Amino acid sequence: MDRFRFRLVSALWLAVALVLFTAPASAIPAFARKTGLRCTSCHESWPVLNDFGRAYRDNGYQLRLGKDDPTTTPPGYWPVAIRITPHYEFNSISNQDTDQGPKDFKTGGVADGAMDLLTAGTLTNNVSFLVVPTGFASDGSVSLESYWIYLTRFLFKSDWFNVRLGKHEVDLPVSAHRSINLTNGYLIYGYHPAADADAGSPFDMGANQRGIEFSGHDRGSMTRYNFTIFNANDSNGSRNAWDSTSYYGHFQKYWQLDSNTLSEVEVGAFGAWANYPTTAFTSGGEPIPGEGGNLKTTSRYGAETQLWFGPAVTPLHFELVYAHGSDARDLYGGAANRNGTWNGGFLEAVWVPSDLLHWGLFGRYDLIRNSDQPIPGTPKDFNDQDQLTGGIKYTLNYNNRAEYALHAEYQTNRMKKIASDGSDVRANTVFFGIDFAF
Amino acid sequence: MNRFGQRHIALAIGLLLAGSFELRAASAGAGDPVRGKLVYERYCLSCHGPEGNGAGEYAEWTTPKPRDYRQGTFKWRSTPSGSLPTDADLEKTLKGGLYGTAMPTWFAIGHRSRMDVIAYIKTFSDRWTKEKPQPSIVIPSEPANDAASIQRGKALYVKYQCVQCHGENGQGDGPSAHELKDDWGNPIVPYNLTEGHIKCGDTARDIYRVFITGLSGTPMPSFADSIDKDQAWDLAHYILSLGPAGPRRTEEQGP
Repeated sequence: MDRFRFRLVSALWLAVALVLFTAPASAIPAFARKTGLRCTSCHESWPVLNDFGRAYRDNGYQLRLGKDDPTTTPPGYWPVAIRITPHYEFNSISNQDTDQGPKDFKTGGVADGAMDLLTAGTLTNNVSFLVVPTGFASDGSVSLESYWIYLTRFLFKSDWFNVRLGKHEVDLPVSAHRSINLTNGYLIYGYHPAADADAGSPFDMGANQRGIEFSGHDRGSMTRYNFTIFNANDSNGSRNAWDSTSYYGHFQKYWQLDSNTLSEVEVGAFGAWANYPTTAFTSGGEPIPGEGGNLKTTSRYGAETQLWFGPAVTPLHFELVYAHGSDARDLYGGAANRNGTWNGGFLEAVWVPSDLLHWGLFGRYDLIRNSDQPIPGTPKDFNDQDQLTGGIKYTLNYNNRAEYALHAEYQTNRMKKIASDGSDVRANTVFFGIDFAF
Repeated sequence: MNRFGQRHIALAIGLLLAGSFELRAASAGAGDPVRGKLVYERYCLSCHGPEGNGAGEYAEWTTPKPRDYRQGTFKWRSTPSGSLPTDADLEKTLKGGLYGTAMPTWFAIGHRSRMDVIAYIKTFSDRWTKEKPQPSIVIPSEPANDAASIQRGKALYVKYQCVQCHGENGQGDGPSAHELKDDWGNPIVPYNLTEGHIKCGDTARDIYRVFITGLSGTPMPSFADSIDKDQAWDLAHYILSLGPAGPRRTEEQGP
């Protein structure tokens, strides 16, 4: 039996290894056209930023060579790029309620694509911007995923004083919008104990938030801080000068080592405190937007570490993130008798094999474990989740104009006891397509 | 911990090592050209080209043109005219970038990657196997940068015909300015000394060094045999006086 278990777990390790060793990268080709640099300069693997890319972003998309002001670029230059991923996708999910009893659903086909229209650049020295309309799918919907203006060195001409205003992603340990995988994202960002999406808090730390971000860094962005005040996403608003006032903070420290065995180490800590109204004036029984009160908190905080094994230029990059989450019981509208709390995290690996910058292998394991269920009588492990993602990216061509890559990915997610009969639900996704940006 | 757990920890470590099979022991000091090739492909290739000939896909759109490494000729050195640069010279250029050109600051990529790519750049020219860089020039102590020194430097600026290229007021608009070419036949523009972003560095010491070493591959000669050290300092002070006042380099530090 012991030998069987060993073989079984060994096989699982092998499977993990196969999906784990991957490399990412995603670029805004408008920057490549402006600077002449290839996507690989800023991206470890498209779209994961490397040290240079992180520093370039923190500097407000500026190289500071006297060519950042738009009047110094050719008049024909227009800072626009597109990214879209035509792909085939197969999804299956088990134990879904139907009139015919619990059934497994399976569906697949070429997905109805959506596009990011990425416009980003500098308005003048030390003033940069990003506007991202996204959507353009067959339903005709288009929304502004992001829009912000970023003032760098706004005090004392120092990199330690930068401010961003608009709708933007907070400075997450790993970007939720530019993740290496294209299926379901990082669980800890948007997880809540209740399986019903309408119950409890709607807070998603990975969603873009409307707010003001203060940030700073040293040269090379080896030490960074970030503090954001924002309106919590999907809040009905409250009777305050700043409705749904919420806060996010993040600190990171990187060490580049003079070694090709362990070439870099990072540690960091983050925390988010998002507040939502739990009471509201109503009209016809419906809450009046912006007239809520009695704000209660959804929080999540945690720590991270990153390790880069091998040469910095072709690393095996691990990121381990831990988070503790809590939803105030009042957010469940009287159904809860205590706060909902959980612990979670993920381990992600991205690998760019030596001398094959075209290849990227990636894998991630996401885990959620509930500690206190807010709804009385709920099993402690209700909606505990285990998500495994693995994939491969092969860049067919990249230069300082465009990039396109084959992208294949598999993801499986087990959600415990959330089916109506109390059994587990498992969702699987197979994804294969061509990811391109121009 | 039971044997089962121990086995799997060992297996995990094994997989980690297998996944990073290219990992090598830490090697402080000199760079590795094999790893440097990867650094070059990631960061340098689009301008300097796969052959190191300065003819990358973006070269057509840049002025000045990217360096052709095949001759082993480098502008920014601490070594005498005609000599190869030291590794420290090359790393200084990588760390600081070259303001006004397409050459970014590669500060963020780290010392190890810079040393590796320097080792790879050396493989493009056999000069590196036949010659050693000469010792860096000795720069004497800087005398006072005062009005008298600047006035003497102004006279030397005319005497040594700096005006021919850099112009009467240092704006890079001298009579010969539009006729200059580098060793590869590419048009080259004399630097506008009034902008205050001198590529070699903004201190009098940096400018002094250029007078003595010259800028190999360009029409900027070495004055090592024709100017004494006091004159060189006076001229450096005058050049500095042409630019805007105050520290500049730190304001332009890139990523």
